[in-house]
Amino acid sequence: MRWEVFRQEEEGGYHTHCGDVHAPDAEMAKLFAQIQHGRRKPTHGIWVAPADEVYSVDADETVFGGSTDKSYRWATAYNVDASHAQEVADSEAEQREAEGRRGES
Amino acid sequence: MATATLGNPPDLSDRERAAIEALLFRLADDEFVAAERYTDWQVRSPTLESDLALSNIAQDELGHARLWYDLLEDFEHTESALIYERAAGEWRHNTMSELPFGEGDWADAVVRTYLYDTAEAIRLEALVESAYPRIRDRVEKVIREEDYHRQHAESWLSRLASDEEGQQRLQSAVDRLLPYGLTIFAPMGDVEADIDDLGLRTETLESMRETWLDTVVPHLEGLGLHVEDAQLPEQYDVHHEAMELPDELGRDGTHTDSWDELLEEFTFAYRDLGRTTTTEIMADPDDVE
Repeated sequence: MRWEVFRQEEEGGYHTHCGDVHAPDAEMAKLFAQIQHGRRKPTHGIWVAPADEVYSVDADETVFGGSTDKSYRWATAYNVDASHAQEVADSEAEQREAEGRRGES
Repeated sequence: MATATLGNPPDLSDRERAAIEALLFRLADDEFVAAERYTDWQVRSPTLESDLALSNIAQDELGHARLWYDLLEDFEHTESALIYERAAGEWRHNTMSELPFGEGDWADAVVRTYLYDTAEAIRLEALVESAYPRIRDRVEKVIREEDYHRQHAESWLSRLASDEEGQQRLQSAVDRLLPYGLTIFAPMGDVEADIDDLGLRTETLESMRETWLDTVVPHLEGLGLHVEDAQLPEQYDVHHEAMELPDELGRDGTHTDSWDELLEEFTFAYRDLGRTTTTEIMADPDDVE
């Protein structure tokens, strides 16, 4: 039986998919995943989930974000002086980066 | 009973030093030889996952051996003399850890790690309050890695025990290994009394052996396995009776034939290259936090 493994580097951080392990049950999957995925990189936590129980949808099946112009979703579409609000500035920077990466895929 | 703390290596009496060395040799040799044997499974374990897990356990044990050998180096032993140039009969490890595995006999690896790591936990616990600070300061670090070893072994045990073929394989491993496992608690000689009197450990070998049997026998029986009456030598006044010990006790320098082969194997390159010293690639444990 195959288990998907998700590794969290630091407490409070996201668990990011990092590979899989083969194990007969969850207990053994946790034991194996600790070694296979947690021994060399800094690790605070690991999730294992049965690969069968992970459901997916991909770009062949749907258009992520829709196909028409929805730039109003992005703060960068608005002419706002964000210099006085760090949160807004950060959010704008994140969104600019996300926009850039949307173009890549 | 509060035990006096012993001094630094140069300040020890001959009696203190001899007792400390006797204790350290068995700790270090057990870990080193167990790890050497586990390594036989590398690329041969049943699955990639089990391979990595056992190899990782072997690496942990090598790391522990290194911590204990390093304390022997306080007494002018060198790595070359300790590992690569020591005569077979001067090694003091228990004889279960040196036995070869039957081909593909994964149940042996599971039972062996279970018996060994359960004993290891008991033995390390008895060192937490050791009168020798050099041991006391390192033992917690070792204990922290041992929990995984026991979880790993116990998980495998219960899964192999869940069907008939697994039961048979486990039973055969238990029958073969348990008498050798008892050598973990075999005495090295009169020095044992000094080790106890000086407070180097806080539990006697006899008591630790009882604790171990009280742990492993019910656990194995709970999995449907049968444990032959533990035949212990008559001098042990204990409630586990009549389990025959092997001829080779390890602690007294006697070993099985398989030990010569294993020693030959891991010292081969050193001799073949005509080495007289070892290569150091890691910082001394004292220089690492």
